[in-house]
Amino acid sequence: MRYALLVQGGPYSHQAAHSALRFAEAAIARGHHLETVFFYHDGVYNAARLAAPPQDEPHLVDGFRSLHEAHGTQLKVCIAAGLRRGLLDEREAARHGKQGHSLEAPFELTGLGQLIDAGLSHDRLITFSP
Amino acid sequence: MILHTLNRSPTESRVYRQALAAMGPDDRLLLIEDGVQGALPSLVRHFGELEGRLFALREDLEARGLAGRCAAEVLVVDADGFVALTEEADKTVSWF
Amino acid sequence: MQHDSVETAGELLIILRHAPHGSSWLREGLDAALVAAAFGRQVTLLFCGEGVTALVAEQTAGPLGQKGTQPTLEMLAMYDIDTLLVDQQALDERGLTAADLLLPVRPLAPPQLAAALAAHPLVLNF
Repeated sequence: MRYALLVQGGPYSHQAAHSALRFAEAAIARGHHLETVFFYHDGVYNAARLAAPPQDEPHLVDGFRSLHEAHGTQLKVCIAAGLRRGLLDEREAARHGKQGHSLEAPFELTGLGQLIDAGLSHDRLITFSP
Repeated sequence: MILHTLNRSPTESRVYRQALAAMGPDDRLLLIEDGVQGALPSLVRHFGELEGRLFALREDLEARGLAGRCAAEVLVVDADGFVALTEEADKTVSWF
Repeated sequence: MQHDSVETAGELLIILRHAPHGSSWLREGLDAALVAAAFGRQVTLLFCGEGVTALVAEQTAGPLGQKGTQPTLEMLAMYDIDTLLVDQQALDERGLTAADLLLPVRPLAPPQLAAALAAHPLVLNF
């Protein structure tokens, strides 16, 4: 089946992102195609490029990134929720006159319409919230 | 049939009541994260009419030291079982 | 809006369970509804729990100029979002009636809540 996940919890403050990654592994292990992870609400912080957790803790940003690298999962970050919270890619940083950027590929800023599309076009959408 | 997930303990949040009110007669409820506290024998009564449709995630029980304290009527599933529940349901709704 | 029975409802049900101002859940849930409608999707809203207070009249912006959600609610009709369901029990608990609310709504008892969830292919809970 084609799966999408919606992650709404920020990293390390709540279990939501850990639960989502664990579910992702299990879904893939059962042969499903995890096509999309959409980040909304405080979930957008899971895309923070500069996250530097201690080495003995799970690295959530790398965890999501490796879903993309190993399985082609698209990592979509709501642009409106992201910009409000300081998650900007190079293009948005330039557009807003900011030095430096806080989000980079394979995470991509996209509109909320992509969440609705994923929800309606994939076989399953599973939400992990704080 | 809808799979509902709940990540709050019934002693901490009344959201479980909203979930129960929105559940159809065949719907299932999976307790995850802090929600697994609801699987304790003293709290499981909050989910009274769900016999056979109430699940809890093993990994979240184990991580909290609650795996051996789970009420007998709660069906314990692992992450693989969680995915299987989402396969069997038409859709999944999360309550938080 | 008599034709909008729960059983023949749209593609997407958005459940709003949070009050205005205290968190961004209500606003972000409404944003999802507007975007879906703008893309031509049929959207139903269900106000549950504290979410029913989103419909109380005479809301204002916050003291720092934080936008409230009332202006968004007033735009729903423009987006053809006209099926507004509310949890009757949540109204009762707060001493509210449908007549106290900004917009015409359809109060639902629990069996109808479950029917509303079952009738929509996609349910997003905010």
